[in-house]
Amino acid sequence: MDYRFHLAKRMLVNKRGSLIGAVLAVSIGILVINVNFVIFQGIYDAIIRDMSEYRFGDIYVYDEEKSTIEKSDTVLINWFERIPGVEAATPRLEASATAETRILGQQHEKFNVPVLGVDPISDIRTSTIHETVGDGQYVYARNSIVVGESVASDLGGCSRGGFFMSSGTDPTVTGDVDIGECQPVRVGDSVKLTITDQWGIDQKKRFVVTGISGTAGGQGFDRSVIIHIDTLRDMLDRSGESGSIMVRLQESASPYDAKQIKNQFLQAFPNDNLRAETIEESAESTLAGFRSGIAMINLIGYFGMGSSAFAILTIQMMLVNSKTREIGIMRAIGARRKDILILFIMQGMIIGAMGAGAGTALGLGYTTYAKITNMEFGGSLALEVNYNWQKIGETAFIAFILAMIASIYPSYRATKKQPVEAMRAV
Amino acid sequence: MTKIYGEAETKVRALDNVSFSVKKGEFVLVIGSSGSGKSTLLNMIGLLDKPTEGKVLVDGFDTSNLTDNEISTFRNKKLGFVFQFANLLADLTVLENVLLPSQIQFDSSTGDKAKEILEKVGLKDQLFKRANKISGGQAQRAAIARGLVNNPTIVLADEPTGNLDSVTAKNVIEVMKKMAKDLGQTFIVVTHERAQFGDVDRIITIKDGRAFEGEHSPELEVVA
Repeated sequence: MDYRFHLAKRMLVNKRGSLIGAVLAVSIGILVINVNFVIFQGIYDAIIRDMSEYRFGDIYVYDEEKSTIEKSDTVLINWFERIPGVEAATPRLEASATAETRILGQQHEKFNVPVLGVDPISDIRTSTIHETVGDGQYVYARNSIVVGESVASDLGGCSRGGFFMSSGTDPTVTGDVDIGECQPVRVGDSVKLTITDQWGIDQKKRFVVTGISGTAGGQGFDRSVIIHIDTLRDMLDRSGESGSIMVRLQESASPYDAKQIKNQFLQAFPNDNLRAETIEESAESTLAGFRSGIAMINLIGYFGMGSSAFAILTIQMMLVNSKTREIGIMRAIGARRKDILILFIMQGMIIGAMGAGAGTALGLGYTTYAKITNMEFGGSLALEVNYNWQKIGETAFIAFILAMIASIYPSYRATKKQPVEAMRAV
Repeated sequence: MTKIYGEAETKVRALDNVSFSVKKGEFVLVIGSSGSGKSTLLNMIGLLDKPTEGKVLVDGFDTSNLTDNEISTFRNKKLGFVFQFANLLADLTVLENVLLPSQIQFDSSTGDKAKEILEKVGLKDQLFKRANKISGGQAQRAAIARGLVNNPTIVLADEPTGNLDSVTAKNVIEVMKKMAKDLGQTFIVVTHERAQFGDVDRIITIKDGRAFEGEHSPELEVVA
């Protein structure tokens, strides 16, 4: 073993307080970055996961110019399901409706709500939105409706703090009802939707609530209602049309596979004005701001790491000053300035390596804890925790390099000590 | 050699035209009162400081034109040091301290020699003790061993007994003399405790920065 490394190690071990302080400075910097990463990247990934699971799939197809795809959904879905790597595909159609309900025999609320039309059979294979139905079951018949938790609550008047107000204060309230406490819409209740068809004529239909859908973080359809796609097509008078095709790939498929399949699809249907997007592209606009936030938080983390470099610089200066006599002795018995420089840079490397190791271990511990406990904040969506080894490695490496760089100046100062003067130091 | 510290009114002539030579294997005592310039002289010979005028020749080699790196290498290979306070590295064991001069040159072949010298100076049982866990006398003997491990041309000792009690000092002096005799090693020892050393090959007295041959011989200036 190089004597300089051996001596650097011994000097540090015999100055445990300084060593622990310096190592903590490095490891806390790493921990901050790792914790930030777990939380913010975890939320980011969770949003992507939910957007993919509930809304866009792995590939999302829609018409570039019109609100609906005129081409038969059967043709498109059959095409996709023949491609290796594709798990399933399903058509979806979206519209808006006015929803109203009766509670205790009285009609009292009217709300504008987004309506999602789904094909119950293929949707279950493509999306996991059916799993968000906590109470009741998913859409299964032409007159069944799944109501989002927020809509159920709003229709029951709960958005008003539990007490209804007179229609005179709110134009959406159609009756003067005051039943004292709110009562969210429940499975078995009746909800009437009014949808304006493509010809401008209001189409009304009464549905039976079969399920209430709720998702943590609200990335699902908590503020929508879900009905059978054919019912929606009928009400809009858009027979056979779909708003989009959602495609689910097999679990083994990579983002690269998604791009390949997307391109293959666009080549297969060049004249249909269809646009296809991977989940990353679909979520781009939603997550662009979020990504900036993550970048900013990481920047703060790196500033923290920079601060730890200053801490190391200070501690190393203290170490150099406390070892002045030893530096003088070494110089007297033949150590060159370069040897002294290397000795103290090695100290920085040891601090960096130990700090990087401890910080990474702490960060991994936190990550594992977040993963095991399905960590969430205030009932929001559970973090999607992934071990990003590249990021973990980069952070540790940067911390190590910073610690080494922070040691250069104190080491340089150490080389400037003259042996005779240095040996006089007490 | 002449060494002047300070400038103008604060100028101090620490060494004034000192010139002498030492033969291989000689045990030379440099004596003088405090502030006479003994340690300055030793620092010049040890290339730890540069003379204002003059030069140091070791084995006929002029050391005045060496670069900083060359001086370090020269000190390491040609000179051995024993300081007043032993100056061992407290972070290392006794053996590691003794091995340090050779390790600086990445020479790993001196392990056995280091142990042998440590045995000769009576520290056989202290090899793996931390340097700050041994007594002052033991530390000074370890420092002598460190000064000898690279088989230097000259061992320079600056007040090697200055910090020791009389019994321990006597023991350390015996060790130095024994080493000088056994190894044919040249020693230049600076001290103001002349009596402790008994018979030596040669004595140089420093007074007011000037060197004189012999003990208490202010009339006779040393000439090379």
